[in-house]
Amino acid sequence: MKYAKVYFDDVNVGDELPPLVKGPIQQIQLTRYAGASGDFNPIHQDDEFARAAGMGGVFAHGMLSMGFVAQAVTDWAGAGAVRKLGVRFATLVRLKDVVTCRGRVVGKSSTDDVNLVELEVWAENQKTEKVVTGRATVILAARPSSPPPASPAPPASPARLRASTETPARPTGCSPR
Amino acid sequence: MPTSINTALIGKEYGPYPFTVERGKIKEFARAIGDLNPFYLDDRVGAASEWGDLIAPPTFAVTFRDETADTGAMLRDLGADISRILHGEQEFELFRPLQPGQTYLCRARIVDIYEKSGRSGPMAFVVRETTITDRTNDVVAAMRHITIVRL
Repeated sequence: MKYAKVYFDDVNVGDELPPLVKGPIQQIQLTRYAGASGDFNPIHQDDEFARAAGMGGVFAHGMLSMGFVAQAVTDWAGAGAVRKLGVRFATLVRLKDVVTCRGRVVGKSSTDDVNLVELEVWAENQKTEKVVTGRATVILAARPSSPPPASPAPPASPARLRASTETPARPTGCSPR
Repeated sequence: MPTSINTALIGKEYGPYPFTVERGKIKEFARAIGDLNPFYLDDRVGAASEWGDLIAPPTFAVTFRDETADTGAMLRDLGADISRILHGEQEFELFRPLQPGQTYLCRARIVDIYEKSGRSGPMAFVVRETTITDRTNDVVAAMRHITIVRL
């Protein structure tokens, strides 16, 4: 398992992800991100170049902000849980900006044993302007100790008894974290 | 001087080009974002995981660059200067995490080019889709990029 922090069963529409605060953005981070990503556009490194281009100075790679948003999602859902992530870059992120990434559950569905959770995600700067807006889909595991559905209990069979003794005892209604 | 965008490029394909994921590159990328998730950084955690090795962060495929097929090549074809571009939108679909040591094949295609007027004047939107397949030709990831060219 992937250190899942949240199970599908415990998620409700309207739930909010813990906010992830990044920054203040420093030039060194943009330089590191350029090296790591291969995006060496001088507009993210060279203030004179960025001013001459009419951009009023250096700004962060959109993909860095998207990386922050992805982290907010995986910090909550677990590494490897992201099935889809799409964003629009709404406002430029500048040096010294503090970027807070947020998310909210907007839908849940299960098909063929795959549990999908739809999220609205966004990031905002210290002036609460949205710098990134988007959507994410994550795959979450069902809680292993889910109680059986509330239907008439079938007669106990040896197989059922054996299976139940292999289930680790864990109070229901309490998500292991 | 206003730039004009070559809309005849709609449908143009780039690649296929191969890209091999390096272990150190995954770690460098995660650290550059400041995402210290052990599944990206700790070889032992990766080895013990359901994937048997490290996995890459969700946005890692943006590093899959090739001189003949990356944004630079597309800009040359469009006749756009790098100082005039902005990133408009980006989407990743991930069917399986990308992993170190694996070689993937990337195919990109310009699916649309349209012009709009924004706050800062006329802009062209270039929509490109990239499909990433593994050695068995299974699609492991797909990307959709919208590059904005300030005209």
